[in-house]
Amino acid sequence: MKFLSIAIKDLKELLRDRRGLFFILLFPILFMLVFGFAFGGMGQANTPYNLAIVNYDQGANMPLNNQSTNFGNNLTQILKEAKYQNSDVYLFNVTEISESEADQQLKTRKIDAELIIPENFSQSVVALINSTILSTTNPLSAASSSSNISSTLIIRGDTGFINFGVSQGILVGVLAQYQDDVVIQTQNAVKGTPGAQPVQYLSSKVEPIAGTQNFTTFDFIAPGMIVFAILLLATTVAASLTREVEKGTLARLKLSKMRGFDLLFGGMIPWSLIAAAQVIILFVVAVAIGFHWQGGINSILLAVLVGVIGGIASIALGMIIAAFAQNDRQAANLGTLITVPTAFLIGAFFQLPNVQILGFQFNEFLPWTHTLNALRATLTYGGGWDAISYQVAMNVLLTVILFAIAVFLFTRNRLRAEN
Amino acid sequence: MASYIIETQDIIKDFDGFRAVDGLSLQVKEGEVFGFLGPNGAGKTTSINMMVGLLKPTSGQVLIDGQDMKFMNRSSIGICPQEIVLWENLTCKESLKLMGDMYEVPKDILKKRADKLLDDLFLKEKADTLVKNLSGGMKRRLNLALAVIHAPDIVVLDEPSEGLDPQSRRVLWKYIRSLRDDEGKTVILTTHLMDEADRLSDRVAIIDHGKLLRLDTPDNLKKEIGEGDVVEITISDAKRNQEVIQILKEMEHVLSVIEVEGVINLRALDAMSKLPQIMESVEKKDVRIADLSMRQNTLEDVFIELTGTRLRE
Repeated sequence: MKFLSIAIKDLKELLRDRRGLFFILLFPILFMLVFGFAFGGMGQANTPYNLAIVNYDQGANMPLNNQSTNFGNNLTQILKEAKYQNSDVYLFNVTEISESEADQQLKTRKIDAELIIPENFSQSVVALINSTILSTTNPLSAASSSSNISSTLIIRGDTGFINFGVSQGILVGVLAQYQDDVVIQTQNAVKGTPGAQPVQYLSSKVEPIAGTQNFTTFDFIAPGMIVFAILLLATTVAASLTREVEKGTLARLKLSKMRGFDLLFGGMIPWSLIAAAQVIILFVVAVAIGFHWQGGINSILLAVLVGVIGGIASIALGMIIAAFAQNDRQAANLGTLITVPTAFLIGAFFQLPNVQILGFQFNEFLPWTHTLNALRATLTYGGGWDAISYQVAMNVLLTVILFAIAVFLFTRNRLRAEN
Repeated sequence: MASYIIETQDIIKDFDGFRAVDGLSLQVKEGEVFGFLGPNGAGKTTSINMMVGLLKPTSGQVLIDGQDMKFMNRSSIGICPQEIVLWENLTCKESLKLMGDMYEVPKDILKKRADKLLDDLFLKEKADTLVKNLSGGMKRRLNLALAVIHAPDIVVLDEPSEGLDPQSRRVLWKYIRSLRDDEGKTVILTTHLMDEADRLSDRVAIIDHGKLLRLDTPDNLKKEIGEGDVVEITISDAKRNQEVIQILKEMEHVLSVIEVEGVINLRALDAMSKLPQIMESVEKKDVRIADLSMRQNTLEDVFIELTGTRLRE
């Protein structure tokens, strides 16, 4: 049981190097915090969007009583007061500023969208009212009605910014509703009755999938961050093994009866414990800063299991790196060079396009893809063993293959007599 | 059965165009202390790394107990490297236990052996101290203890006295002798200290620039260049060294006179009685003697005789 002696030795070394251990655990927490604060509010339902209104409307006189009215102010008021359906949350945080100021704020994403109400907005609303009066009193003359003044409202924003996309969608809806309401109210006024809303034949409703009502982008990203931390373990493992080569302690072990498997399997045990600790710590941090966790204690146990398997894959990767790196700095650099792109490839930060190889999504050949999918399934969506068993099986299979490669390469490059 | 425990047959080691070891052939007898003497960079460490299987020779063969390295029982060799190679965050006891486990030493034997080693090498009080908190000398001694925890038949010590204070060196030398005398081990020792090679080794291999220059017992080596004492003379005007050497060479009973790094090195039988005569001849030439010393013939003189230079530090 030589691997057990190696495991005990590595564990003691890890725990006694307090500072090193602190950094291993702290670094991923920093990442989690940064991503938590960056994406924590994004995508959550019922969040007010920041809207700047630039109102150039000069007003117009109403047709029946000749009273001066500014429909631009009216629209601004309506947007200020508009709320989400069945909710007390406003749709927009409205600010009224100049166009140049608004443009500036768009660039810094201080505001999500800018609505420019043109000079002739009131005039065009009045024209709409006039034509509605005419068509209500004399339907035949409607087509050849008096002046048809149209005005263009500009919704300006950064089309690459997701918040603008959402704000714009809501604004278009509100404006269409505004026009409809003007028509209905005018019709009612002319007829002298409050009248009923027209019967609605088609309606739509946006519905989040079960359990995701309060989701933010962070809920999707948090498991990605856990996997990223697990991936970074490869760098630490590689550096620590390379240090053993550099210091000569490996040469000592190499002359003994120890085999590559003893060294690597033994080394894997304490590092797996680190992976488990990372999953738990990162999970707690994520929940503390707003991760909507579902699935209860069971899901945490499953997450730790999944995390440890992913961790072993990272350890194997670290061993492969250590088979080639000449010193611990090289190991750290090579490790970063491999783990960061891998984190992108498995979709830890954002979803990747669907590219198939041999009928599989290309990143399904990487064990961490399955770690990530399983973590999302259990932590974010509250799935049980059934939901993750396929991912776990694939993860185990790929990890075993990676570990076998690691043992082969490390033994060949590091445990034989040097040339 | 082989009469030699280790035999190298014309081993050569090249590193990127540089030949570190050049056709080394030697035999180490069972139960002897075998010294490799040579300056730093002579190829001593490279040679022993090939002899223990850490390094593959570019050509040639190493036989352990008459068999190719490949079939060697790993437990039969223990190596104490030149550098301190320890796990800083383990204690002395834990380090010994780890290496014992790696050599599959049974638990009860391992415990006894570790205790004895800690005792022999004066580390008993530090048994539970973390390696990083040990002094340099203690680390050196633990470095040695780790090499012998599995009780190997062959113990290889690479520059064991490097960085040791005189007291630790005495402990070490005593221990090396006891390895041979009490336990019947074969000890291979590399050193650039002729004193160490002289006092400890049964036989000494003198190597420089990767080549074996001589292999014999210290006494035979010293006899080979002749008995006698060595007088070292420094004159105030080093430019006239050759002139003085010519005069001294003509003197009776002078075995050799050479210039070594600006100092005149004279070897003569019973030099003490000849000192007045030597000084007189030098001063006749109107040369002032700045320094003069006399000592017994050492292995260093053998080295000087062989290479014309001192052992490089």
